[in-house]
Amino acid sequence: MIIFFTLLRREIKRFLKVAIQTVVSPIVSSALYLLVFGVSLGGSVSLNNGVPYLTFLIPGLMVMGLINNAFQNSSSSIVTSKFSGDLEDIRVAPIPHYYIVWAMGFGGVFRGSVVAIVTGIVGAIFHYLQLGTFISIEHPLWMIYFFIAGGLTFAFIGIGIAFLAKTFDQLSAFSAFILLPLTYLGGVFISIQNLAPIWQTLSKWNPLFYLINGFRYSMLGQADVDLPISVAISLFGVIVTFFIALFSLTKGSFSRW
Amino acid sequence: MNKNLALDIQKLRKTYIDKDSKQSVEALKGVSFSIKSGTIFGLLGPNGAGKTTIIASITTLEKPSSGDVLVFGESVLSNPLKTKRAVGVVHQEVINTGFFDLNEILDFQSGYYGLYKNKERCDYLLNKLSLWEHRHKKTRQLSGGMKRRLMIAKALVHSPKLLLLDEPTAGVDVGLRESLWKFVTELKAEGLSILLTTHYLEEAEQLCDQVAIIHKGEVLFDGHSTDVISKYALKKFTIFLKNGTKNEFEESTQMGLNEVLMKHNIQLSDIQDIKIEEGKLEKAFAKMVAL
Repeated sequence: MIIFFTLLRREIKRFLKVAIQTVVSPIVSSALYLLVFGVSLGGSVSLNNGVPYLTFLIPGLMVMGLINNAFQNSSSSIVTSKFSGDLEDIRVAPIPHYYIVWAMGFGGVFRGSVVAIVTGIVGAIFHYLQLGTFISIEHPLWMIYFFIAGGLTFAFIGIGIAFLAKTFDQLSAFSAFILLPLTYLGGVFISIQNLAPIWQTLSKWNPLFYLINGFRYSMLGQADVDLPISVAISLFGVIVTFFIALFSLTKGSFSRW
Repeated sequence: MNKNLALDIQKLRKTYIDKDSKQSVEALKGVSFSIKSGTIFGLLGPNGAGKTTIIASITTLEKPSSGDVLVFGESVLSNPLKTKRAVGVVHQEVINTGFFDLNEILDFQSGYYGLYKNKERCDYLLNKLSLWEHRHKKTRQLSGGMKRRLMIAKALVHSPKLLLLDEPTAGVDVGLRESLWKFVTELKAEGLSILLTTHYLEEAEQLCDQVAIIHKGEVLFDGHSTDVISKYALKKFTIFLKNGTKNEFEESTQMGLNEVLMKHNIQLSDIQDIKIEEGKLEKAFAKMVAL
């Protein structure tokens, strides 16, 4: 356990040392989204279920902050270590691979959750100023579940990509061409009920759609997908990505770039 | 299985595909040697001979194509977690951890080996390696020599039984080199077994109980360093005669002055002065590699 906690402590200390870049800057961008979409444009968007757009947007942005930062944390930790050579220290020490995967996974959950929670607090302030009410958290335990499941899944993906990537380009390509579109089309900003049927069907193939809606359900008590389906699919996501991360440690390279 | 051997390299082969030429390259061609517990072993060879590949195979950074490495009788392939605990390694290239200071680096390093509250050992090493006053600095603020010493401190936090030093004195000034040699000798006195790779033959000659000379992935010689010298190196005799001429002869290290004089038909009474240079490993090495 000492080994696991050392690795986890290292992950957390690392991102806190560069907190401006790892925590403050994602919060600033979330605040801008809230301001532009939620507050300024929000009044002109109407959702079928009568939920104000700002209320709908806050959990979406929280999940976006969670998964982006979980992914960034593990992938940038590995990539910077590949440049500096630190990974060799980990490789030559008697550390089973699954410790590394879990420690980096929870490191991602931690950073992702910090960003998501602060985004939620900023959102709650906007919510109060705009609508005069506090945003509710209907199912706090499910919310914790989605924090952990979403954070782990994307931290694990970050591990997988960072270990298997041969160049920095490959890493940013994944971020730009896969992660970003899936997030934007997964229901952060929109409810699929407002979409044409073909887009509704396509959205259902996006695994992120279930995570975002599960999280939204835990906060608002309603979403586009039933809770059990969201829970099951996000759990499945954790398991599959865990094995991808584990595989990447076996197949990927610990050596320097 | 011999537990008296700190390290037993058995017919180690490593082949890889060169990315540029797409051709298969044999980095190690069935290398075998062993290190007795409590001794210093010098692995000598020019750049690209395969020294670092051998180190990487011991630490599992590289997987050998065939053969095995035993650390105190345990295979690094079938029991890596156990062998890794016994080994400390100082890599050739300095690791620059950007985020943390020296205290944190050694603390994490201890944690990787499952050690909690290892501060006493870390502080001892910081002191011993003259890094104490720099303990709050980050690696980029350290000089080249300090970075090297930090690498050594990192390798020793968990009190390994076998220490691998991959060219620890490359690019290090004379003063520091000598203090490192002294430190290595002290470590040996504590019972540590040490594998040292180096280009500096003088270093091997002074420090090592045994040496192996490796070239193009093959062991050319394995034995005591003085044996290498006597077998391959030549003693240089410079004889100045009273008539002003100077004669230079290179002869086997076993040859005495008398035999040399007899061989070259020189009378003792004709001699003004004589200079004899002992055979150096350096010469032996150059001769072997040229073979």
